[in-house]
Amino acid sequence: MISFNDISKTYQLGSQQVQALNGIDGQMSKGSMVALCGPSGSGKSTLLNILGLLDMNYEGLVSINGNAYPTDALQAAKLRRHQFGFIFQRFNLVPVMTAVENVAYPLHLLGYSRAKQKALATEILQRVGLGDFINHRPDNLSGGQQQRVAIARALVHKPSLVIADEPTASLDSKTATLVIDLMKDLGKEIGTTFIVATHDYRMADHCDSCINLLDGLISKEQMKWAS
Amino acid sequence: MGKLTQIFPDTMRIAWLNLLRNSRRSLLSMLIISIAVFALTSAGGFGLYTYDSLQESTARETGHLTLSQPGYFEKEEDTPLGNGLVDSAKLVPQILKLDQVRGVQPRVYFTGLISNGSKSTIFMGTGVNEKEFDMKGPFLDVKQGRTLSNINASRYDASEPEIMLGTELANNLSVKIGDWVTLLATTSEGALNAYDFKVQGIYSTGVPELDKRQIYVHINSAQDLLVSKKVSTLSVFLFDTLDTAEVQTQLTKTLANMSLNEQVEITPWQDRAFFYYKVKNLYDIIFGVMGAVMALVVFVALFNTMTMSVTERTREIGTLSALGNYPNEIIALFLREAGLLAVIGALIGGIASAIATVTLMLVDIQMPPPPGRTDGYPLNIYLSFELLSYATLGVLFICISAAYLSARKGVNKPITEALIYV
Repeated sequence: MISFNDISKTYQLGSQQVQALNGIDGQMSKGSMVALCGPSGSGKSTLLNILGLLDMNYEGLVSINGNAYPTDALQAAKLRRHQFGFIFQRFNLVPVMTAVENVAYPLHLLGYSRAKQKALATEILQRVGLGDFINHRPDNLSGGQQQRVAIARALVHKPSLVIADEPTASLDSKTATLVIDLMKDLGKEIGTTFIVATHDYRMADHCDSCINLLDGLISKEQMKWAS
Repeated sequence: MGKLTQIFPDTMRIAWLNLLRNSRRSLLSMLIISIAVFALTSAGGFGLYTYDSLQESTARETGHLTLSQPGYFEKEEDTPLGNGLVDSAKLVPQILKLDQVRGVQPRVYFTGLISNGSKSTIFMGTGVNEKEFDMKGPFLDVKQGRTLSNINASRYDASEPEIMLGTELANNLSVKIGDWVTLLATTSEGALNAYDFKVQGIYSTGVPELDKRQIYVHINSAQDLLVSKKVSTLSVFLFDTLDTAEVQTQLTKTLANMSLNEQVEITPWQDRAFFYYKVKNLYDIIFGVMGAVMALVVFVALFNTMTMSVTERTREIGTLSALGNYPNEIIALFLREAGLLAVIGALIGGIASAIATVTLMLVDIQMPPPPGRTDGYPLNIYLSFELLSYATLGVLFICISAAYLSARKGVNKPITEALIYV
């Protein structure tokens, strides 16, 4: 379970201080898929970065499975390596690595043998429908295929938490639906908690719950989608 | 394992692929490293060749070791051979017992006047035996005639003592092979003595000042002229210059066990190699400055390359950090790339240097004569693996340092900023 209490974050923009998050609380149960929704500037990316341990400069307390997030950068890297997965809007695959190498990378960081890395990476790539593309480099894959590789990379080491930042924003409608279904199915299978920052109602509709953010606060109002 | 390396990101393969991302830039960096290594190994190889040649010429001139009375080279003699060795006949057989010794040459140094009958000038003479010229090898260039004859040979005529003259001296006196000259010198007892000599050979040392004054005569002729049986020095020639220190130690022990009528000092060739050390010091400074400039060029080039690479891959660094890479692991990625550039560049530079070495062995390119010399010398460079190793380690260190400084800046960027970097 992920819980966060009294989270505040202030940015310094020139001489101005901007309050991105203003003492918000919340929690996500294990295996759930939670959407962080809200308009631009509402603070959802800020909260996502804090929950993903990418930003450690905040006030408040975040804990995972009852353990408070570390404050040391190396400990944070260790926690991300072992328990977190990431899916980015622009896929962020390593361009010189093939699909299987990209997917195997988290396993490499965890010290798996080469054979095990290959086996697990190939298996999950087959699960996401890319069994025939394992030796393709990212620039030889479509956007949807790249995002599926990214999903495989995020889940291959069976993390407790996957942070997804606008995972469907760069995809067409059909591919977006495919990617959402994949995330949900694989997440359920592994028991991973997903926190998804999104503007996409299709994504939000598939989530178990949605945290609406507005001006750094959690809003009780229902999100109004653009379409 | 081979199949597995195809599958999993073998760290060096990934480094290589990253270098290929901007192949033109990587090629340029590699080229700069190659040129630097080529320049360092070639210039250094030329230096080593020069040192070696000078070392050999010095050792051939003075002998690898010189036996003399203590302080012979520091103090002036009151009379010719006043500080000469008496026991040379006892010493020579003992020295020749050592396996490393190729030969022992007694020498008599003397000065005086040389005359062709109508014109006289001063000379610096050396009394030697005929084997001296075998020891000198290519370092004495006989321009006309021959070297001194073997006095034990049947064709040697004792009534016609032989002399060899430097080219300039022969020109000054207008003498040619077969002409007669007279040497006038002070004897060891202070009287004047004169002998006539027949010109056997005319040679060049390559040093105009020596060619104007220098002569060689048989050692017994010199002793007759000076009315003494002493010799000035005994020059010990070795098969291998590297044995100098070892033989000096052995000879010191041998001399200590001999009952001699005089004290004997052993001087290694290095103590008499003033020109060698002057050239070496000069070249060391030149090559040192050149090496420092090359190091700076490589550093600036690599720092620029790696900084551009790090900047272009900021988002990738952010991604790798997010996935849980530690900063030093990300820095290591860039260090491997820089290391690969350095090693490949050094390899190309080394190969270019080897090609240059072989080419110069096949093509005779002459260097102009150095200051104070008349003859040029062949342009050769030694391919030294030691030098190549140092150059490779040097560029490796420089490249890795440059990559470290660049990469450190990249990994210190907050992950959230790195991930949105465009």
